[in-house]
Amino acid sequence: MVSKVLVANRGEIACRILRACKEAGLASVAIYAANDAKSLFVELADQAILLEGDSITDTYLNQAQILEIATTTGADALHPGFGFLSERADFARAVSQAGIQWIGPSPNAIEKMGDKMSARITMRNAGVPVIPGEEIETEDEEEALIAIEQASTRVGYPLLLKASSGGGGKGMRAVDRPEDLLDAARSARREALASFGDGRVYLERLLTGSKHVEIQILADRHGRTIHLGERECSVQRRHQKVFEEAPCSTMTEEIRSAMGKAAVAAAMAVNYEGAGTVEFLLAPTGEFFFLEMNTRIQVEHPVTEMITGVDIVREQLRIAAGEPMSCGELHLRGHAIEVRLYAEDAANNFLPAIGPLTVFQPPEGPGIRLDTGVRQGDEVTPNYDPMLAKLIVWAPSRDEALQRMRRSLDEFVVLGTVTNLRFLRELCDVTDVIEGTTDTTMIDRLWPEGWAPSLPHEFEDGALMAAAVAESAGLHHQSSVSTSDASGHSGPVSPFITLKRRYP
Amino acid sequence: MHHQFRTAQGAVEVTLAKEGEVWHLGEHQATVERDGRLLIQLASGVSGFATVAKVGDSWWIHFEGHTFCLERIEPGASQSGDEGGLTAPMPGKVLDVLVEVGQLVEAGQTLMVLEAMKMEHRILASTSGQVTGIHFTVGEQVQQGSILLEMSEYED
Repeated sequence: MVSKVLVANRGEIACRILRACKEAGLASVAIYAANDAKSLFVELADQAILLEGDSITDTYLNQAQILEIATTTGADALHPGFGFLSERADFARAVSQAGIQWIGPSPNAIEKMGDKMSARITMRNAGVPVIPGEEIETEDEEEALIAIEQASTRVGYPLLLKASSGGGGKGMRAVDRPEDLLDAARSARREALASFGDGRVYLERLLTGSKHVEIQILADRHGRTIHLGERECSVQRRHQKVFEEAPCSTMTEEIRSAMGKAAVAAAMAVNYEGAGTVEFLLAPTGEFFFLEMNTRIQVEHPVTEMITGVDIVREQLRIAAGEPMSCGELHLRGHAIEVRLYAEDAANNFLPAIGPLTVFQPPEGPGIRLDTGVRQGDEVTPNYDPMLAKLIVWAPSRDEALQRMRRSLDEFVVLGTVTNLRFLRELCDVTDVIEGTTDTTMIDRLWPEGWAPSLPHEFEDGALMAAAVAESAGLHHQSSVSTSDASGHSGPVSPFITLKRRYP
Repeated sequence: MHHQFRTAQGAVEVTLAKEGEVWHLGEHQATVERDGRLLIQLASGVSGFATVAKVGDSWWIHFEGHTFCLERIEPGASQSGDEGGLTAPMPGKVLDVLVEVGQLVEAGQTLMVLEAMKMEHRILASTSGQVTGIHFTVGEQVQQGSILLEMSEYED
């Protein structure tokens, strides 16, 4: 039985899970750090408990504190979302031992598949091809560096250093030349340690020209393990996905079936339960190699939901409660694309940006879904990941989905903080994207010197004119977050002030 | 009416004229709509709505799918110059300082490593020169725009 779910996460994914709980008739508990007190997810929960402490380690990564809140609020299930503690087997174990249902696979499965090193070994033993690579087991810095240097000569260049318990591009470095190896290794280990509390890395050969294709898995306790088709997530910057779609444009029934079988076999090998994703690199030859398994819900799960009609988070809740999954035979329908809205300056090496969301107006209309963690008036702070929201579109065909995405991105208005909206919009016009020939190196290949918007000169004139007219006409109707206290004015209420408009 | 804005290309002066409800900038025209947006009609025939918001001294503009941030220069304000300092591109924590005061560095050399939003960012020397000042040590928090290090260029 599951009746009350604690969501051990924040931002967009916490909102997604809390809304699913509401729809399923389950009570919910949010936990939040002090700097998240005004965040959207806090308001979506039935109950919200403040986490003591300032740093992420003291708050969203604080196992003891979160477990205590789960116990005192009477939560009987815990959903970890993605990132944070979602792939920590020790936390999953502690949650289970406290008599609380972990919404995800068993600690044993997380250990085997979540840890990239043992996952590779498990997959190799199951007969699934893996990329040439080597695990560095030692945690000691000096020993690890020596081992990395030795392994690099066997793996070959270019190579990729990855955090063993990583994700989201953190602790990951591409190394083209041997002379760059040690610097990259030190920095990858440091970032891995800071993000995941585990500095171990592994090396693998960087396969260029390949697509990143992943299979969504669902498994329940009633003997059913199925796959929900693939997603393609080749378009990445700094190894972080920005543009995802389902199905993969070059997928054949034959490869989908083989990849799906391999993914299901992987899940069954560890008695997997709940939702998971098995990631592959798909080479131009049609060969595919196991990359890693993510033992949690994934950022890009909505594209699969759009083309299968399955509510994956709702199925997670159902499976955790011991019920059989509700979906029957699956038919893939149409095409879905997701883009990730980041607060970052795409024209300046994708540097994270902060500021107020003075205007946040998402697009509307048929086939559009917005999974957001923010709303107008919020402040983007440097404390967390810069992903603000995900824009997902669905249409009967890939071409139409791309047309819908262009229209949606043109309508999307965010003012007050720099975002990657224009970058995403221009991605939709890239030949490789239009033709579906994207690979994981596309962004670096297209913009080796960094991206810059293609901006007609007259639009700059239009913007300058807009600014000058707005200034002259006194259009201060959109107050910024930092000065929003003005709304709490006292004294006689003037209709002109409440309308926030001035008349000449 | 005159306004000055700072753009990526430098300061731009804009002189508007108004006839009835219509604003003119050369051949371009604009009107203020009831919802606070502006209808911009460019000389080329392109027309579209601009959404505007003021944050601090800057006007944020969304027009034709592009977003602009134009900082208004107050009349009579002096231009603040670049003093050769290397500033923090965003708030974060200093992870590593790789140089010492007095050290000669090459253009592109890593001087400092920052961490923000769980990612590492390297502060590189924009020119070859000598480090003349270091204002932060490992573990310290920096604000966006903080001057991290100072350098003097080589004298040839």
